[in-house]
Amino acid sequence: MNGRLIVRALSMLLFVLALAGLGYGRPALAQTAQPAASPAVADVRQIVTEARKEIESYTTAGGAAGAAGHPAIKWHAALWEVHERSPQSEAGAMAAAEAIRLLSRAGLWDRAHERVESLGFDDAAWERVPAAIYEEGVARKDLAYTVEKLSQAAASTTSAPIRAAALLVLGRAQRRLGDNTAATRTLEAARSAAPGTPSAAQAEGLIYEIAYLSIGLPAPAISGKPRNGRHVVDLAAFRGKPIVLVFWAST
Amino acid sequence: MEEVPLIKSLEAKYANEAVILGISVDINIERVDRTVKEKGMTWPILADGKGFDGPIPKAYRIDGTPTLFVLDRGGRVFAKPGSAKQIEVSLQEALSRPAQP
Repeated sequence: MNGRLIVRALSMLLFVLALAGLGYGRPALAQTAQPAASPAVADVRQIVTEARKEIESYTTAGGAAGAAGHPAIKWHAALWEVHERSPQSEAGAMAAAEAIRLLSRAGLWDRAHERVESLGFDDAAWERVPAAIYEEGVARKDLAYTVEKLSQAAASTTSAPIRAAALLVLGRAQRRLGDNTAATRTLEAARSAAPGTPSAAQAEGLIYEIAYLSIGLPAPAISGKPRNGRHVVDLAAFRGKPIVLVFWAST
Repeated sequence: MEEVPLIKSLEAKYANEAVILGISVDINIERVDRTVKEKGMTWPILADGKGFDGPIPKAYRIDGTPTLFVLDRGGRVFAKPGSAKQIEVSLQEALSRPAQP
């Protein structure tokens, strides 16, 4: 009888130890990443998903933003570890940018900025960091840090894609601040910094938007026969009445 | 398009004062016609079956739906409401402005 209990207790203990060895109870990083292989983008995505889940329950339970016990701190550390293990890989770059995003979304701005400052301007993470910094500036309704940091990155990096990414987001920030002239100049620089990249294409699109779709400019012409009508409609013919344009798709 | 009821009510409310124009980015024109019928969309609906690559969506740099614009009495871009709920505020503001040369 006693012997059986001991065997049971021992096997239970072994089971718990095995679980611990598998990494249960630790952040997802320890479960998913292989120590020798370089981290995969999918692993990073999984960490981010789990982090968001936990942060959401923390927030729903009334947990305060900016607090020292915020779960974003723990998860950001797990992501940062991935970055440090493999700083120039796609996964490492994504991990660093997502770590910064977690902190700034949690209102932990000083910590987020500390991480931003710790990245060299040639670190591949800088291709993704501009968007995270911009998001923070928009949320705080203060783009001063965004503009300062992105200007610095664009001027300091030796990487064309990073320069283009920083200039693209800097242009977007300047546009948001109402300075369309500066924004267009910056976006033109972004376009020529790394031709053929997504940043260049996005810069091109924003230049067009500023030139043709800014508030106060004549709206691009529209005319055509409606699917549900007999007569051609023409924007110009509606002058005198405000017009609502609804671009839509069946769902 | 879940904003249809809202647009319908705007159309009824501002029928004489403002114009509503729908531009579909569907690739399947038959589907557009079906939706227009099913949802009872009575405002003019343009569609060329070219999706986002049609000349109108391209000119307006559309990359997602719904995307909304409010134009003032002079045909100038007045507002870009982020959601259907925000249309009415912009529309009322546009209505309160007299036509400018």
